Amino acid sequence: MGNCLKAQSNDDISLLRGHDSQDSVEQALGPPPPYQEHVQQRMPVYHPAPNVSRTASQLTEEEQIKIAKRLGLISHLPTGIYDGSSKKGKECVICMGDFAVGEPLRILPCMHSYHKDCIDDWLMRSFTCPSCMEPVDAALLTTYETS
Amino acid sequence: MTHYDFEVTGSKVARCHIKVDMVNDNFLELIGEIIGPPDTAYDGGKFKLEINIPDTYPFNPPKVKFVTKIWHPNISSVTGAICLDILKDQWAAAMTLRTVLLSLQALLAAAEPDDPQDAVVAKQYKENRKTFTQTARHWTNVYANGPHRECELEKILEQAKNMGFDEHKARVALSSSDWNLERATESLLTS
Repeated sequence: MGNCLKAQSNDDISLLRGHDSQDSVEQALGPPPPYQEHVQQRMPVYHPAPNVSRTASQLTEEEQIKIAKRLGLISHLPTGIYDGSSKKGKECVICMGDFAVGEPLRILPCMHSYHKDCIDDWLMRSFTCPSCMEPVDAALLTTYETS
Repeated sequence: MTHYDFEVTGSKVARCHIKVDMVNDNFLELIGEIIGPPDTAYDGGKFKLEINIPDTYPFNPPKVKFVTKIWHPNISSVTGAICLDILKDQWAAAMTLRTVLLSLQALLAAAEPDDPQDAVVAKQYKENRKTFTQTARHWTNVYANGPHRECELEKILEQAKNMGFDEHKARVALSSSDWNLERATESLLTS
């Protein structure tokens, strides 16, 4: 699965690199949400635990594995494009911006939906729904068991 | 438009008695205010809060502490530091300054003495509730402009002041020793 911890040194995390090139990933993500503009950096920053921020080369092996697993799990969560229907809610409660038609959304197992970029950033820190606190991994496992 | 411009505005604010103001036009430093909830020792007091918004907000919680001195098991009577789960590990990105201030108001109405920030206050809360309530009401009256005076405590404080002690230090010592003048005097002299 396309795990891609982007780092400048290839040595220690070569196992975790996928085939996505950096350019295509950034294109796919689109411009950063407004609250991130001032912290935009070339090097991606990871959060092995809440309140801990490190670049890929500063991560321990254990943290790299945890992050790679998390990226993998996130990639299994359904995404969608906002089509203007109000079924998915109208506002992303993370950035408090209204959904615009055509914006990529991610839908959690509890059916709460957010801007894809907003929720992915949160899920890397805490694997829970920010609205209902439902642990996302528990819900994912239930989905697997019942399907 | 920044994220939290939206957060505290709206008609519900007036009814809940919370507000947020900017300090020096810098939206990362804010001053909050909550009114003590009715039917509690904090009733009618105006409590000011220092709020610092981290760069990573809303992925990390705002840093909040009381500026107004307060007598509460989960708030340090010395520094104003707050022990509240949502300001630490239970923070979620969907929370807002509004939910934080409302949670703090709820904390004033329902203390968690088993998870204390101020051990002295928590002990008094558990072992001598009547004295705790009087003390909290007295602090609210003196520091938060609350409407309810505690004349009994004021008399004891006056005695300590007449002995030449600083008013605030005397209040802390008396509050910490269940308003026993002899014990308070002793701790004031040895500190």
